[in-house]
Amino acid sequence: MEIDFSIIWPYMPVLMQGLWVTVAITLGCAIAGSLLGFVVSLGRMVNNVLVSGALKLYVEFFRGTPLLIQLFWIFFCFPVVLGISIPPYVSVIISLTLYMGAITSETFRGSLKSIEQEQHDACTALGLKHSTKVIYIIFPQALLRAIPPLLSNIVSLFKESALISSVGIADLMFIGQNISNSTAHPVEFLTTVAIIYFVVAFPLTRLVGYVESRMLTRYAI
Amino acid sequence: MNTAEVVVNMPPANAMEAGQFIQLDNVFKAYNNELVVMDGMNLDMRADDRLVIIGPSGSGKSSLLRVLMGLEGIQGGDINFHGQPYIKSENNDSKVVSDELHSRVGMVFQHYTLFPHLTVMGNLILAPMKVHGKDKQSCIAKGRELLARLGLEDKVDYYPSQLSGGQKQRVAIARALMLEPELMLFDEVTSALDPEMVTEVQNVMMQLAEQKMAMIIVTHDMHFAREIATRVVFCAGGKIVEQGTPDEVFGNPKEARTREFLDKVLHLN
Ligand SMILES: Nc1ncnc2c1ncn2[C@@H]1O[C@H](COP(=O)(O)OP(=O)(O)OP(=O)(O)O)[C@@H](O)[C@H]1O
Ligand SMILES: [Mg+2]
Repeated sequence: MEIDFSIIWPYMPVLMQGLWVTVAITLGCAIAGSLLGFVVSLGRMVNNVLVSGALKLYVEFFRGTPLLIQLFWIFFCFPVVLGISIPPYVSVIISLTLYMGAITSETFRGSLKSIEQEQHDACTALGLKHSTKVIYIIFPQALLRAIPPLLSNIVSLFKESALISSVGIADLMFIGQNISNSTAHPVEFLTTVAIIYFVVAFPLTRLVGYVESRMLTRYAI
Repeated sequence: MNTAEVVVNMPPANAMEAGQFIQLDNVFKAYNNELVVMDGMNLDMRADDRLVIIGPSGSGKSSLLRVLMGLEGIQGGDINFHGQPYIKSENNDSKVVSDELHSRVGMVFQHYTLFPHLTVMGNLILAPMKVHGKDKQSCIAKGRELLARLGLEDKVDYYPSQLSGGQKQRVAIARALMLEPELMLFDEVTSALDPEMVTEVQNVMMQLAEQKMAMIIVTHDMHFAREIATRVVFCAGGKIVEQGTPDEVFGNPKEARTREFLDKVLHLN
């Protein structure tokens, strides 16, 4: 069979629809997951073994199992266990958010811990209350430092989100694969899909470097 | 007559009076219950004293300043400030008992420890606004005045990363001065600086000395110590081995350990 890339053009609008689903789900879960991750990172620092223990278990579990099994479990088993039906979109959003929450909680934990003892000492010397210190000194610096790894987390999520195609969500991967099967032109379509993923992800990975070299050296080191 | 000499020559009977400012009474401090850094330390300081603490590395000089700033607890003894309890060792690791007295002490660290995400002005006004509840405008006005005095008026909106080491350290001094402390603690504030920046920071400290600011200074710069001190305190082994005027300690040290230490450091210089 001859390779002919011109056949992709009529399918571009559908592929773009798939990309839109991928981007929307990635962004939504990145935001929700980061908020969750931030709260979890704080929760793991509280002096309550039950709370911090439970959160640790959650984080380790989601970090230590394949995303695919998490997607499947929440898609197939959750409804059975809870006796409710969950729409597919909601199911994958829950999965990716929980996954992202576990990953980013470690990112935030690392950045919170990376604030040097000297910064804490300076606050004590100035007589700042604990809450003032946390709100005005620790959080802003930790959040700034968390930006590059968070961006990397988001890029990873964007790529890994291709797995949601396996439970039938019509994302970029799903649509690309379907067209490739039905037209019997895998080379053209799978290559195109890969290029589309790359075109979106690449600038983001460059942005990580930019943020690290410019923003952080100016405001957070 | 020089007030410093009065203190030093004062007979022990007047020690109470001498201790009205800062008084350490039999202070004991150990890290992890084993590394003793203050072993029954006694120290009296007057409001017009400028103490320079010297001693070998690891002798507990920083620890002493950190205790006075409430950054470290003590395991024995008391510290009074203005004759009132300031730090007490009650539960085997106590810190400051009086926030009010704590707010009269300021500290400058070796590595500046400015807040990197805030501008110079942001660094200056945070504590007066949040701790003393002052309004922003008056804090800014005061900050400008202070920065002008330290030759930093054009750096108001800079971030710490845009400043030289000497400028950073002067901002750190300004930040501490914003709270109008009665006692300033300086822990090797010029050790991290390039030689050409040392003087600009030392000049600011001399300026404060002229205004009769009470200070406790830890430094390895013996030349500067001699210049700024009203009293030099040599610490070793968790105790004060010898103290006196700069002339006494540097010119005619009584203790063998002091002589040995000075021989070593002056040779290095
Ligand atoms: N937080 C800590 N925990 C355990 N040990 C400590 C701690 N801080 C200091 N020490 C130890 O206590 C001793 C005294 O330290 P300190 O920093 O007070 O000495 P220093 O006289 O300031 O020394 P230098 O001249 O090197 O700055 C050292 O042996 C140091 O390793
Ligand atoms: Mg030290």
